[in-house]
Amino acid sequence: MSQEKYKSLLELANQNGTTYNLSEGAGGGLVVTGTAPSEEARQALWDEYNRIDPDFKSNDLILNIGLGDAAGGGGNSYTVESGDNLSKIGKKYGLQWKSIWDANRDILDDPDKIYPGQELKIP
Amino acid sequence: MKPRVLTVLILALAVFMNACGKSDADLAKAATDKLTADKVTGVTVAVNGGVATLTGEVADVAVKSNAETSVKSVEGIKSVTNNVTTKPLPVATPAAPDPMLTGKITEDLKKAGCSTASVSVVGGKVTVTGEVPSAVYAKCIQTIQQSGTAGVDNQLKKGR
Repeated sequence: MSQEKYKSLLELANQNGTTYNLSEGAGGGLVVTGTAPSEEARQALWDEYNRIDPDFKSNDLILNIGLGDAAGGGGNSYTVESGDNLSKIGKKYGLQWKSIWDANRDILDDPDKIYPGQELKIP
Repeated sequence: MKPRVLTVLILALAVFMNACGKSDADLAKAATDKLTADKVTGVTVAVNGGVATLTGEVADVAVKSNAETSVKSVEGIKSVTNNVTTKPLPVATPAAPDPMLTGKITEDLKKAGCSTASVSVVGGKVTVTGEVPSAVYAKCIQTIQQSGTAGVDNQLKKGR
């Protein structure tokens, strides 16, 4: 059982201030979703994961640890590349161009004019 | 000579009585207090002849092992039988529909320097193939696992 296998990882999370929830993933693996207090704490968990399951080949654990507000996080964003347009970017995310346009009205004036290097919010 | 032998005997008896002076009920209380102090909830302790038996249902294996460690540290407890069970886990649902997840992961991988990896998402499960430099390998896996997927099939290779 994955939980027993990754016990030391969960114990480490308890010690270093990472909060988490467990669930069962596709294929019966263990999914750990949580928040670490710092990048160091998160890295420590990944090091432990790599020690238990070298190169993460077993596919029996998903370690989805974000960073707390204090440590900084960030939503989804996309950096425009040359040749992009809104419908092309939308396709990458399975979105209509208009929903990206709506989410970025504050930085865009014209849906046909986007520039390489612009950071777009992905709703 | 005789009274001296008696004194030694009485002393020995007193030491012996002291060693097993705590009753099972005392030990059970001490162990329960220790669990409360260590913020372990949902575990019940029964003590019989100094052997503690733990029962109850807790969130995960880490809590289960913490409970055992706590009770073992109580003076007078000889051993611990850990019959605590862990709660069945809820089934994870993928964070986003498949095409959206594919787009997000592809984009995140590019940012992480893993553009030579390719992903496909079916039923919320991500299959990753290709080859990435070994220096960024762990980061690529981390990027995929932090995408909100519920399953991974890791076929990624480490290159130079």
